[in-house]
Amino acid sequence: MTALAGCSGSDGDGNGNGGGSGSGNELPQYSYLNNPANYNPARHDAINLIGDQLNNLGLNTKVQVFEWGTLYTKITDEFNYSFATWSRGLGIDPGRRMAEQFHSSNTGKGGGNFTGYTNKDLDPTLMKQLQEADEQKRIDMLHEIQATINEDVPMHPIVQMPNIVAFNNQQVSGWTDHLVGYYHMEPMTNVEVNNSANELRGSWAETLGTLSVLGYNNETKLFHQFEMLYDKLVRINSELEPDPELSLATDWERPDDTTVRYKLREGHKWHDGEDLTPEDVKFTLEYIKENEIPLYSTQWEMYDSVSVDGQWITVKFSDPVGPVHKVFSNQIPIVPQHKWESRSNPAQASVNEPVGSGPLQFDYWEKGSELSLTKYEDHWRPVKFDRRIWRIIPESSTVWSLLKQGELNYLPYTRIGKQLNDNQDAGNIGVKSAPGDGWWHFSQNTRKEGLDDKAVRQAAVHALPKQAINQQIMYGFAEEGWNLIGESFGKFSNPDVPKYQEQDGIAAGQQVLEDAGYSIENGRVQAKGSSE
Amino acid sequence: MGKLDFFVRRTLQLGITLWAVATALFMLFRLMPGNPTSYIISPGMTPEVRQRLIDSYGLNDPLWVQYVRYIENLVTLDLGRSFKTNERVVDVLATYLPNTLVLMLTAFVVAYIIGISLGVLTGWYRGSRFEKTAVVTALVGRSIPSFWMGILVLWIFGAQYNLIPMSGMTSLGSGPTTFWDMVFSLDFLKHLVAPVAVLAFYYMGYPLLIMRNSMLETLSEDFIDLCRAKGLTERTIMFKHAARNALLPVLTAAAIAVGYAVGGSVLIETVFGWPGIGREMIRAVLRRDFPVAQGTFLVLALSVIVMNFVADLLYGVLDPRVTYD
Repeated sequence: MTALAGCSGSDGDGNGNGGGSGSGNELPQYSYLNNPANYNPARHDAINLIGDQLNNLGLNTKVQVFEWGTLYTKITDEFNYSFATWSRGLGIDPGRRMAEQFHSSNTGKGGGNFTGYTNKDLDPTLMKQLQEADEQKRIDMLHEIQATINEDVPMHPIVQMPNIVAFNNQQVSGWTDHLVGYYHMEPMTNVEVNNSANELRGSWAETLGTLSVLGYNNETKLFHQFEMLYDKLVRINSELEPDPELSLATDWERPDDTTVRYKLREGHKWHDGEDLTPEDVKFTLEYIKENEIPLYSTQWEMYDSVSVDGQWITVKFSDPVGPVHKVFSNQIPIVPQHKWESRSNPAQASVNEPVGSGPLQFDYWEKGSELSLTKYEDHWRPVKFDRRIWRIIPESSTVWSLLKQGELNYLPYTRIGKQLNDNQDAGNIGVKSAPGDGWWHFSQNTRKEGLDDKAVRQAAVHALPKQAINQQIMYGFAEEGWNLIGESFGKFSNPDVPKYQEQDGIAAGQQVLEDAGYSIENGRVQAKGSSE
Repeated sequence: MGKLDFFVRRTLQLGITLWAVATALFMLFRLMPGNPTSYIISPGMTPEVRQRLIDSYGLNDPLWVQYVRYIENLVTLDLGRSFKTNERVVDVLATYLPNTLVLMLTAFVVAYIIGISLGVLTGWYRGSRFEKTAVVTALVGRSIPSFWMGILVLWIFGAQYNLIPMSGMTSLGSGPTTFWDMVFSLDFLKHLVAPVAVLAFYYMGYPLLIMRNSMLETLSEDFIDLCRAKGLTERTIMFKHAARNALLPVLTAAAIAVGYAVGGSVLIETVFGWPGIGREMIRAVLRRDFPVAQGTFLVLALSVIVMNFVADLLYGVLDPRVTYD
């Protein structure tokens, strides 16, 4: 019995990995790396459930628990895994991460394409969509990417995660949905508070380690603060359109594919009363580039030069940039030159009293305990409350008790779990849920024997118990995932992408395997040709 | 050997122990599986930027270079900067350690005052119902996990009856204060009561039981009969003669227990939302934030080692019969 080495890659998947099933017997044992239960209990349970299903399908799968740092290194640096799952977000632009995740040149250590998926035919589209300014052309390209990835399935969404906010409905109202989340500037400036202090009082489990907007690591809890402390040249509204009503720039234009010009809002001031000038914008962009601020590396690598002409700022890019406002203009917070120019190592600067120009300004920070931001009255888009307090409380049962008592009045980044499910029906608790940009990915290491064949990968995806995960583990708050770019992205989501089996996934998966020439003996998938 | 010689020898030993602990900590965190860089780099970064960031933290240097730098810095009390937040570890300690100390030491003092007093009484009234009740209570206190007790107290007195604050050291939105202004405020006292009561209930059993045993031993000695023969009142015998003599093992045990107490706060800090060093320590370990983890563990080790040292000295000072030969 001989393995048909090199043949399994010839079935048109074009992933270029070649390689067959090798041994001529059972497919090898696969490892599914799981985070510890206390790190993310729901995801831990979901991975165990999927592991059972994969075994039922006939893929010998061993779920292994690793501490998060180890797990992440094994998957992204060592590629020592078969299946992996964690949360992924696409951000405001659905195409921004596509090249990072699937381009053939990005399969190296730490490169982002950790599944090792290669498809030379898709590579040009992955890059071109990032440079295409015409939206319809870009949508077409993203649709093609979704269709291809959906068929080749190196990565597949298990559940689409919603943005959820829980709040005390006697005190807080007026929430509006936004793809990015309720902490985005637009919903945050719409929300209304009805309590004696006119305060929005939220809580988070972990301490805020820093208030340096150039020296943090994109953690959600800090992003929530900086979103309101700093302005950005262009903000994207809930319709996913650049919106001058929300933006520091009141007008913008693109003379050509590699240039963008912004007209800065006149008369706006920093929280300390200094004028916010076009020179501040020029300083910010040059400062970030000169100091190679890691957090904004994707952005500073894009532009070459910045110039100022009256209220206009011109940014020259080295290559054409397509969705410039989604991947660039709304990413970089504008910082005051008079505060930052004296800091020689900005990425390591210790900032305890940040000065920005956003709708909320710094009030006080009791480290490890509480952060208070107050309304910046002179902002063009002011918030409707006087103060926002962010209290550090590690115990989630305490948090929910305080929410029901009215001591806290909103939980800004509510985790889906038992507490949410148990408390959502309480009389004074409101829960808002909106489609988000993120999902739990089911990623398959295409370098592994068997997983180098898309038929096996498709069979595995058929077997994902999405419904059970959503109903039993996510308490029905999430949605089953079918497409890499979900419906929350509107026209960017390809509606024609076929769904994998919704109900009897095991049978459907086994059918795919048999059609592709695999056999199943004693409940285990045998490598192609082994029964011949 | 004289007391001075003993002091010098113990000080030297203390220095060597600290160096050994510091070295062990350095090795321990680097031998742990998992990569600290996975927490400081974001997946969107280019390999070049990742590399620069890793270099900037010195994580690419050979281990021995990292070790020499670590020891050099340690001597000058430079504990480095957090990988996660860039904050100086010394500042992290300065922020969170006082919060832990004020909680633990208050609980400790309360526990030892009550524990020692009850220990004296239980020893004195041996065989009584009071003794049985006190000993059982002490054993129960030692046996119930303090975090569970904490959750119970919070649930009953916080969530159900709204009698105690549910979390933190101050009321929500009460504004910035200096550490001492906060400590001497009524608001702080209200927040302190529940965690101190829970911790004191836990700590109390130890001094109570030691004191009781020590009292029983002391009460069986001849000089107690002599006291009675002299016609001293029972009260005087109990407190002035028996208890004073019985106190020695409790005090030395207390010194060591204080050392351990600094690290014993982790769970209670989490339950009561107390912004102390224990919580930061756990966070640092989970996030592979070596500098902060090393710094907090060093402080912990230092407190245990120093308090051991103090206990040794205390013994000699309190009991003239102890010699250093």
